[in-house]
Amino acid sequence: MKDIAGKKRKIDGVDIFVFTVLTIWLLIIIIPFVNAVAISFATQKEYVDNPLMLFPANPTFRSYEMLLNDYRIWTGFRTSFLIVLMGVPLNMLLTMVLAYGTSRGSYPGKKIIIGGILFTMLFNGGIIPLYLQMKEMGLTNHLWSVLLAGSVNVFYFVIMRSYFQSLPDSLIESARLDGAGEWRVLFHIILPLSKPIIATLTLFYLVDRWNEWYHALIFIRNSDLQPLQLVLRSIVMESSIVNNVTSAAAMETMQNFDMGVKMAAVIVTILPVMCVFPFLQKHFAQGVMVGAVKA
Amino acid sequence: MKGRAETVKRKDSVFKEIWKNKAIYMIMLPGIAWFIIFAYGPMSGLQLAFKEYSTKLGIWGSPWCGMENFQYVFRDPSFLRSVGTTLWINAGRLLFQFPVPIILALLFNELRLKRYKKIVQTVLTFPQFLSWVIVASIVINILSYDGLVNSVIAAFGGETVNFMGSAGMFQPLLYITENWKSAGWGAIIYMAAISGIDVDQYEAADLDGASRLQKIFRITIPNILPTISVMFVLQMGNLMSGGFDQVFNLSNPAVKDVSEILDMYIYNISFGSTPDFGFSTAVSLFRSVVNCVFLVAADRGAKALGGSGLFA
Repeated sequence: MKDIAGKKRKIDGVDIFVFTVLTIWLLIIIIPFVNAVAISFATQKEYVDNPLMLFPANPTFRSYEMLLNDYRIWTGFRTSFLIVLMGVPLNMLLTMVLAYGTSRGSYPGKKIIIGGILFTMLFNGGIIPLYLQMKEMGLTNHLWSVLLAGSVNVFYFVIMRSYFQSLPDSLIESARLDGAGEWRVLFHIILPLSKPIIATLTLFYLVDRWNEWYHALIFIRNSDLQPLQLVLRSIVMESSIVNNVTSAAAMETMQNFDMGVKMAAVIVTILPVMCVFPFLQKHFAQGVMVGAVKA
Repeated sequence: MKGRAETVKRKDSVFKEIWKNKAIYMIMLPGIAWFIIFAYGPMSGLQLAFKEYSTKLGIWGSPWCGMENFQYVFRDPSFLRSVGTTLWINAGRLLFQFPVPIILALLFNELRLKRYKKIVQTVLTFPQFLSWVIVASIVINILSYDGLVNSVIAAFGGETVNFMGSAGMFQPLLYITENWKSAGWGAIIYMAAISGIDVDQYEAADLDGASRLQKIFRITIPNILPTISVMFVLQMGNLMSGGFDQVFNLSNPAVKDVSEILDMYIYNISFGSTPDFGFSTAVSLFRSVVNCVFLVAADRGAKALGGSGLFA
């Protein structure tokens, strides 16, 4: 592709190979989603008759109705929304103050603070001491355990810090000369200049919070506080264990249409991520570093 | 005397410096407090590895027991088995997962249909933003007895396969689903590295009449080696973790023998029926230390070989 400008090249074997492989890959990603959507709108009869289904002939909302009649899904939505609404601002606040404080100036202890933050990437206490500490603090079975367990993502901190460092010093110096304090500098000078990185990291934190299930699995036993991901998990897993260990003959007797409700649950859980994704995608350039570490 | 006076003076100036910068400490206070409580607090909790935990006495009050926990850990056959499983799965990951984003980035780079490229990239990055709970649900759906894949197999007259429930299928399932979810996203970092390559190199190669494949192997790949090396180092830091989220959501009792990686083992012994937190903390500490050692070792190794490491 990087040939001398203006020169059109003929289609060669490499082009055909690349196109074919990527198209197959594309289909492998898309088809499972299409299949899930189709099943969520299908009737049980149609699913049994035509399991290759990519779109239902007679779409029905039955599965969605059944799903929305399940109180657990509402518990899940409420909890997940609470986790996002409270968690993301907390994430951003803590990440921002640390990134700002360590991005410029020199003061005693700066190196220790940066080192202390980065060290946690290398080594951490693991889940058991964290669980016991949460328990001793009386936070288990409260949303606060989930909110506080993942409040700062060190990788995001690094990204934000390097962005802050790239801002010109002169702006801050002149604000200081005008007598602006640290809070003023952060909120009136730095943040307005950092909109792209703030947008990026807010979106990343948002998706992370929406996808939160692990900490909730460990800290929260209370069934009224299960996030949507865990509700989905219990809906999907309900009979899939049976599905896995029993024979095909036993499957016949099982209520097949559970699958419709399960897929409806999958779709409603994916939907918010799908809504955020186009915005997220715009910021992939800043996300490249995140890509390095999340992969 | 003189030395002492100087120290006092330096101490004075340190306090003065701190006082001068008090606003910056104040601004960072919430963040620092969080790190001390929720990152370093649990680290101090690792002392449990050398203690006999009792709920009544708490982390700090429980009595010390030396290396007793570790003696039990290393004698536990299921611990040793889970270490083996973890290493085995990670060896597979290195072989079947690590190169895939690199290959994908090279493919993207050679795709000349610009608009199509954008579409493919968009779709391939999307699954990264779904949790393993969702991905596992989708996978369980298409791989079930009357799911899509088995229906296709049946349509061609083949025998249906019990994908989720057979031990032999579990590892391929891990590698395929991980690539399904993350390869597109993982390719982004290599794409960025490729876009940073100097165009002059390709032009010079064009003048010399190099073929596309020659350019890929002689120019593109050598130029992204530093990135590959960094990613490799990061991968080594996960040697004792095996992707808990993925394994936890894709496994079931039928594949217990091949799916109990160290993280699963820790989860099972910690949150099962009769937890022994001293014991499981010892396992957890072992895991963290091995990961840490391998990360640092891989970093040194990559640098010794002339590659790029993590720590400058």
